[in-house]
Amino acid sequence: MSENEKKGGDASAGKPGRALDRRDFLQGLATVPVLGLFGASLLQKIGYDKKRKASKAAPAAAPGPDLNVALLGAGAQGEVLLNAMLKIPGLRFRAVCDIWTEYNLKKTVNLLRKYKFDVNAYEDYRDMLDGEKDLDAVVIATPDFWHARHTIDCLKAGLNVYCEKEMSNSLEDARRMVITARETGKLLQIGHQRRSNPRYLHCYEKIIKEAGMIGRIVTINGQWNRSAQPDLGWPQRYAIPDAQLKKYGYPSMNQFRNWRWFKGLGGGPIVDLGSHQIDIFSWFLDARPVAVTASGGTDYYDPATHEWYDTVMAIYEYQTSQGRVRAYYQTQTTNSSQGYFENFMGDQGTLVISESGSRGSVYREVSAPQWDEWVRRGFVQAPKLVEQKSEEEKAAVLDVRETLSPDEHKLPVEFNDPYHKPHLENFFNAVRGREKLNCPAEVGYETAVCVLKVNEAIEAGRRLEFNPAEFAV
Amino acid sequence: MDEKKLQQWQMIALVGLRVIIGWHFLYEGAAKLLLGNWSAAGFLLQSKWIFAPIFKWMANNSAVLDAVNQLNMWGLTAIGLGLILGCFTRLAALAGIAIIMLYYVCNPPFVGLFYSIPMEGHYMIVNKNLVEVAGLVVIMLFPTGRFAGLDRILHKLSGKK
Repeated sequence: MSENEKKGGDASAGKPGRALDRRDFLQGLATVPVLGLFGASLLQKIGYDKKRKASKAAPAAAPGPDLNVALLGAGAQGEVLLNAMLKIPGLRFRAVCDIWTEYNLKKTVNLLRKYKFDVNAYEDYRDMLDGEKDLDAVVIATPDFWHARHTIDCLKAGLNVYCEKEMSNSLEDARRMVITARETGKLLQIGHQRRSNPRYLHCYEKIIKEAGMIGRIVTINGQWNRSAQPDLGWPQRYAIPDAQLKKYGYPSMNQFRNWRWFKGLGGGPIVDLGSHQIDIFSWFLDARPVAVTASGGTDYYDPATHEWYDTVMAIYEYQTSQGRVRAYYQTQTTNSSQGYFENFMGDQGTLVISESGSRGSVYREVSAPQWDEWVRRGFVQAPKLVEQKSEEEKAAVLDVRETLSPDEHKLPVEFNDPYHKPHLENFFNAVRGREKLNCPAEVGYETAVCVLKVNEAIEAGRRLEFNPAEFAV
Repeated sequence: MDEKKLQQWQMIALVGLRVIIGWHFLYEGAAKLLLGNWSAAGFLLQSKWIFAPIFKWMANNSAVLDAVNQLNMWGLTAIGLGLILGCFTRLAALAGIAIIMLYYVCNPPFVGLFYSIPMEGHYMIVNKNLVEVAGLVVIMLFPTGRFAGLDRILHKLSGKK
């Protein structure tokens, strides 16, 4: 090969300084059409992905008239709700209120301004109610002990309210919230967001109610297990001055940041986590519990900074139209084994569901009638093929008393939006008069009665019965 | 076939190899860019072997991770364009070798190392990353850009030896 050929593969390629000829151009640009092919394929792929995404998304109804909205409480939970709301069309954010002005408030206002919302910032919610006269709704995500005052004052100011759960840390306050909602005629939705989750709605409406697939539910178990976590801190330069903390009911910056652990401010993990799932027990059973037994304590953390129980195990007894149901619930904050789920066990099948999309299956008991009809009607997916057993498993002797493991049918409903979005949408659509609330104040109140009783039962150290009158407001 | 003709076909085949590897790089980059929220964190976190601490450090340091993500997405895209168009071909091939060797040593398919993200085939020491690197070494050593590629035009215009 000559010098030139080595460089360019043909005799004319490698002579620098010589004018470009036609051949240089053609060969120089020879691979450019590949980019055209690439671009066309890429566009096809993008179009395909878009179509698939659109077919999965629910048909979007027109949002209706814009609503003027305020966020009261812009901490971690407020941020979660706000991120979900930013995906809901037809909302106009007008105001944000948070007592941590240098951190939460600034951060949230900046975020909303980035989204081109003209929002006003407030430290005191009363100033917000005085200053904002054209609000339609307020979303409250403050600590539990503030819920009642915030909610009641907002309702009285003529606003519709979405209030995070737990409705309140005191039943007396929760009751006043229900009554004020009734008196003012304004809407009050409590943030048990699973009640609007399409996966949960499918389980309740189709699998349990319409098909009765799992038969008579006799036992339930649920849990939320979380890893050990250090207390929440704060950048020293953003610490709230003591006088300001005291004004809003916080003894210290640490209690402000970690209010969930302190009596008088929050309710501990059974309230923060358990409340969501115990709410589902009652919802799916269409019943209220008649008694609860519980054990719990601060077994791991320092009781001085963790007044509420880090470990709780509770057993509820329900009386349903079909008979007695025992429902076990545990929450622990020292180990995340198996995460969080609710498991409904009936005589014909088992329903395992979790807000996390990774769990959602129905298992048919081998003795139960076939589910072909429900598969055909799309209530559940076809069963997963039983995998070939390994040689070791085959060799293991099957005990005659053992029942065969049931088929697993996955839920057909996929849900990939932020968890709180459908519940917030339900609230805003109710404000527009198009839907009924999925978790009105009365329902949130019943759940608060169920859940707060657990802490009471732990303190009492015995089984406590519910008086049916306790659930009435 | 006479020798010159053979050489021409050899060169065309190498250009084909270059374009195909370039396509792979370009789409890997473009797909990550289109995702919008792609991150190398998962890949880095499951790193095994002697360099694992470095990769895990990258994943756990948000500023570094962000830089790694950007470099990956734009680097893959740029290398892909360079290889397809035959533009700065050698530099593109060298950068491609470097980036893929990083992937390789991050999660090498050595006997006794197990990964939680399953691979799509069966590999022992040699995996497709290593095959692609070998392809890029060949591309780096042959001047395919000056045969068919923008390098041919650039080379002419620059007037340098």
